Amino acid sequence: MSNAISSRRHFLATQSYSLGSLALAWLLERDGIAAAPAKPTLERPTYDLKPRLPHAEPKARAMISMFMQGGPSHVDLCDPKPELAKYHMQDYSGGDFKFDSVDQASRKLFSGPWKFRPRGDCGMELSDLLPHLGTVADDICLIRSMRTGVNNHGQSILALQSGVVLPGRPSVGSWMTYALGSENDDLPAFMVLRDPASLPVEGVYNWSNGFLPSLFQGTVARPTEPRIANLDPPPHMQGKPQERFLAYLEQINREHLADRPGENDLAARIASYELAAKMQSAAKEAFDISSETKATQEMYGLNRAETKEFGSRCLIARRLIERGVRFVQLFTANQEWDHHSNILTSLPRVCLKIDQPAAALVRDLKERGLLDTTLVHWGGEMGRLPVVQNAAKGSIGRDHNTYGFSHWLAGGGVKGGITYGATDEIGHKAVENVVMHHDYHATLFHLFGLDPQRVTFPRATGIGQLIEAAQARVVREILA
Amino acid sequence: MLRSCLLLPLTLCVCVSTTFAEERPPKVAANAAPLFETQVRPIFKTHCFPCHGEEEKQEAKLDLRLARLIAKGGESGPAVVAGKHADSLLWKRITAGEMPPGEKKLSDKERRTIAAWIDAGAKTARPEPETIADDDVTEEERLFWSFQPIRRASAPRVSQLELVHTPIDAFLLARLEQDKLSFSDEADALTLARRASFDLLGLPPTPEEVDEFLADRDPGAFERLIDRLLESPHYGERWTRHWLDIAGYADSDGFGEKDLERKYAYKYRDWLVRAINADRPWDELIREQLAGDELLLSLTSVAGDKRALKGKAPIEYRGLTPQQADMLIATGFLRMGPDGTGDAAVNQDIARNECIAETIKIVSTSLLGLTVGCAQCHSHRYDPISHVDYHRMRAIFEPALDWKEWRNPNARLVSLWTAEQNQLVTKCDLEIKRLEKERADKIEELAANFREKNMEGFSDELKDKIREAYKTPIAKRTNEQKQLLADHPKAAVGVNLIDRNLKDEHKAIMDQFGKLIADQRAIRPADDFAHCLTEVPGNIPPTYLFFRGEFSQPKQEVAPGELAVLCLPSRDRQGADSSTQPSVEPLPDGRGSNGSPRIPVDDPSLPTSGRRLAYAQHLTNGQHPLVARVFVNRIWMHHFGRGLVSTPSDFGRLGEPPTHPELLDWLADEFMRSGWSLKKLHRLLMTSTAYRQSSRRRPELDAVDPDNRLLGRMSIRRLEAETVRDAMLAVSGDLTIRLFGAPIPVTPDETGQIIVGVDTRDTAGRPTGKKVPLNGEEYRRSVYITVRRTMPLAMLETFDAATLAPNCAIRTPSTVAPQSLMLMNNEFASDQSEALADRVAREAGSVPAAQARQAWRLTLAREPSDAQVQSAVAFLTEHAEQFAGQPADKKNPVTPAQRALSSFCQALLISNGFLYVD
Repeated sequence: MSNAISSRRHFLATQSYSLGSLALAWLLERDGIAAAPAKPTLERPTYDLKPRLPHAEPKARAMISMFMQGGPSHVDLCDPKPELAKYHMQDYSGGDFKFDSVDQASRKLFSGPWKFRPRGDCGMELSDLLPHLGTVADDICLIRSMRTGVNNHGQSILALQSGVVLPGRPSVGSWMTYALGSENDDLPAFMVLRDPASLPVEGVYNWSNGFLPSLFQGTVARPTEPRIANLDPPPHMQGKPQERFLAYLEQINREHLADRPGENDLAARIASYELAAKMQSAAKEAFDISSETKATQEMYGLNRAETKEFGSRCLIARRLIERGVRFVQLFTANQEWDHHSNILTSLPRVCLKIDQPAAALVRDLKERGLLDTTLVHWGGEMGRLPVVQNAAKGSIGRDHNTYGFSHWLAGGGVKGGITYGATDEIGHKAVENVVMHHDYHATLFHLFGLDPQRVTFPRATGIGQLIEAAQARVVREILA
Repeated sequence: MLRSCLLLPLTLCVCVSTTFAEERPPKVAANAAPLFETQVRPIFKTHCFPCHGEEEKQEAKLDLRLARLIAKGGESGPAVVAGKHADSLLWKRITAGEMPPGEKKLSDKERRTIAAWIDAGAKTARPEPETIADDDVTEEERLFWSFQPIRRASAPRVSQLELVHTPIDAFLLARLEQDKLSFSDEADALTLARRASFDLLGLPPTPEEVDEFLADRDPGAFERLIDRLLESPHYGERWTRHWLDIAGYADSDGFGEKDLERKYAYKYRDWLVRAINADRPWDELIREQLAGDELLLSLTSVAGDKRALKGKAPIEYRGLTPQQADMLIATGFLRMGPDGTGDAAVNQDIARNECIAETIKIVSTSLLGLTVGCAQCHSHRYDPISHVDYHRMRAIFEPALDWKEWRNPNARLVSLWTAEQNQLVTKCDLEIKRLEKERADKIEELAANFREKNMEGFSDELKDKIREAYKTPIAKRTNEQKQLLADHPKAAVGVNLIDRNLKDEHKAIMDQFGKLIADQRAIRPADDFAHCLTEVPGNIPPTYLFFRGEFSQPKQEVAPGELAVLCLPSRDRQGADSSTQPSVEPLPDGRGSNGSPRIPVDDPSLPTSGRRLAYAQHLTNGQHPLVARVFVNRIWMHHFGRGLVSTPSDFGRLGEPPTHPELLDWLADEFMRSGWSLKKLHRLLMTSTAYRQSSRRRPELDAVDPDNRLLGRMSIRRLEAETVRDAMLAVSGDLTIRLFGAPIPVTPDETGQIIVGVDTRDTAGRPTGKKVPLNGEEYRRSVYITVRRTMPLAMLETFDAATLAPNCAIRTPSTVAPQSLMLMNNEFASDQSEALADRVAREAGSVPAAQARQAWRLTLAREPSDAQVQSAVAFLTEHAEQFAGQPADKKNPVTPAQRALSSFCQALLISNGFLYVD
């Protein structure tokens, strides 16, 4: 533990930004406070974004999640099934497929036209649709046995994002910032980078604070420039006048709060003005990818129309993490991976969009020495069925499959160059080393040094927590 | 303990309730053996029924819906060995992790319950029914609190009687006293004035209103303040906005990227403003919203038999009076959900069925407080709402929303021209046509005369030849004729070239007729439509149960009806056909033999089906257990910050039970007894001791009740999105007070943020930079701003305006930095601050202390302390010095003192004191 603390201190102290200073001060303070008596029970709880120590030595400090809404076709991307080629377009007698589009259902196995080949030293088999991911195969841990078992987009998204299939619960990012606070004081602790085309399915529930205090909700950056609106005060207010203005605002807000002790929302609003003031320069700087070298920009595909948009967001995600943001989540557009039809043209298109930037993110983090402490996640709420869906007008696709699909993780204390778990011989159901959404959550918490039983929030109806399933397990086999 | 009171005998149907009470399951002691119906069936319903019960084909032929069927078992033999859970196949499959097969396993507690039930003999609470139907509801489900009839309890005894102003207080206080707590002190008068004004008007009180209230020293001053506020036209705007949330109001169709505009949806909004201001009874308003069109037909005297109108032709609503038009407009409620069918590019079958499903969601969440939509694909996992129930409800709306005979959004518009206007339109159109003809003739005459004049001096023969050539259609002219005309161009001038040759004469004719036609157009009434829901008479489409919600998988036909759980107990239905066919013979109380209220398949006395009208009458007959409860709970939520049921659109098992069930019932009953008057309900709530409490936290309350569910104080609430904007406009003095009308346009600005303004982008969507003046429209209240689903106004979206998917049951206020940035740096905030500064300077003069006091009064509705004035003056002085050091802005000459005052005003406008209500 003391090692962890000193290495964190070292990390924070050597940050070139002053952001670390707050965390450092807190850590020093915390050491002295450890033996202080427990707080009196009647004291009103207050909430802030000060960094908090996890319960055990953490591997990961920050997380970037690329949420691929709609359900990438794992059998075409990262879970090769020779059986499909062997019995291509033949009826499959086994398998209790659940269809979302019952009227277009079929039992004919379908083998996509894309080839798989071993990648990296580890020989991880990946599809030609993801050539760039192949170049970082030795750094990623491919889980081929994800499962939620709820066959709708919304429910499966909510299961992965908030642990429960119903809307209104705190999201993973909210829990992380609630449990660990922030390691910067001039950017939000939890940021969302949405797609310019549309909000994801389940909209704000993807980054909702649920029953946690509003301080912990995700802040959504705008998908186009300016990513954060209203960063510029009018010319006459810039500099000292605004400082004076904000000092006066804080003064009257504090007087107001002093008269209303214990009102966390009022305190949160005061904090949000402080944060906003700092964000005026910090956000501009953090979101300004023009200062990156040409080589870096090209690594993320900023020089190509297909990859520019997603690449920009991946690059921004790295910059945010570098600056102490705890949790960044990127979303593809509403149902962008939901290939019920036209899979032959649509799947390559979206792969082209995300493959290079996602791989660049892993490589870039590694080159900067950030991958060890940053957990990178890629995956959607489902995969797709091995059988063909006969959509209208002769187009084909694949229907939903939440019983077996793939995610990958990189860095943050996860082994690279391994695959974990397996689906059955046709890629329908996860059968070996199944990873349910609550197992995924338990593993995330473990990597961040958090004990799920201790990350709780008191509610009138009982204790609120992310992981309610008793059987949730940490997937130890993938830990580095 | 409180909940058990709801299980008292039903008061509304005495003959039923007696036997009902006798059969009531005995109270289950904590350690008594679990019974199937009470504890075990709900577990199976949630986890197992989909495969082992509800669908036609049951997995392994095992049906878990009745204990005896479980004992009988399926293909693998009996599922349960009574007394021995370890030997029971059911138990083995569960503990092996095989069942249920999905991700969701049974919790330890659920497993323990099942084991205990088996060990105690796998008993049921009562003999099980002979038959089992798709929509069976157990007694236990029927006894769930929200399905019980509303029962008015007398106010409980409390020890501090002096704190009881209204019965509400007695209910709340009784509960507080259980925990040795009490109400907080009354808030000061200024706090009350501000609270009441924001609650009822969504606007801050003006200093004059505050003064009037303070000057009223007689008893009942607060009541009089409430009365004054309720008389304000702004009251209707405020409470309309609340209802628009749950109705899913939008000025666009939603659904797809096109998000086509709904030009006439605003009529529904205006109808609500008027109805709420007039305090029209809500039972009427509900009936009109669900079935205004049918109500109108039922009230209109039609010569002869109404059945004669059942002829599959849309009714021509002509010459409606304003009251009649309102009935149609009210059904706009059923046209608020996303409807993508106006866009030919979308899959019509999907879009149509989606539109029906969204409409059902809006109706059920707003009026029933139930998530009926969950039963679209399969029976509700938690609540007793079956797949059949869902389709019964769908059948109520299907004659109007017939996906096989769909009418797209434009085809559903009904013209609102009166008979006179219709006549006038016909007359104008004829006159315009006539004038256009006359103009053409005059121009032709002009051209002909011109040609003749230019042939003067030609030989008659040549003249004839030229005339002949000119008259010949161009395509038929011989080469000779063409040459002839080319040689004499002035003799070949037609109507198209005459303007170049006789410019003035041509212009005179054009002007003369242009004016006459414009005059006609000016008196011709503008297009005016109701955005509403109607039926085509005689169109009675069958409603089929869609297997797993798939419209391509129709199963049996379903008749319109109420949810089974809200009908008579299933016991009374045994032996009766429990399928989905409608009953023909009504019971004496007007119910069908299946316990459902009679909802006709096709009402013979109406041209339309009459289904929605019957349903609306049923919902508002005063006996429905949900409608009034759900309604008063919403109103309570808007006054107290949280509903007595904190999940206002889920009164089912997944929702939260009421904190004060007797109070909820008392209010629902009182509301109906008071003629469903919303204004009376406001008075009732707001004159309570509870409402008038201070919002200060107290340690003894926080220790027991940190979330303030017991209401030992008021809760501090943040202003809603619209209220933030409206309140800024109100105090700055910029607010344009104009009620009603077409929505104010919104447009993206150059950075893509949505602002108020006319969209001047070119056809490719590029900004042109043009600004169209809005002449004060931009400063109207937010309720009048276009609600375009794909273009939410940035200011409102940032402050958590309603998200319409398809409607918004509850808003969750957030506290994020983008809000702060918007208040600090957005043009709207600085504009309003400048306007406020001008106002303050105008009203208070140039002395900083006086300015500070006036700004404080205007924004926070109170006087600043001397210390606050001092620090304000210090701020103004220092700030002005800062600005004095800056180079002057020649384009916008503002004195340093003015700048400082604007900045000071902005600090107040964005301070917590302004943004929150105590």
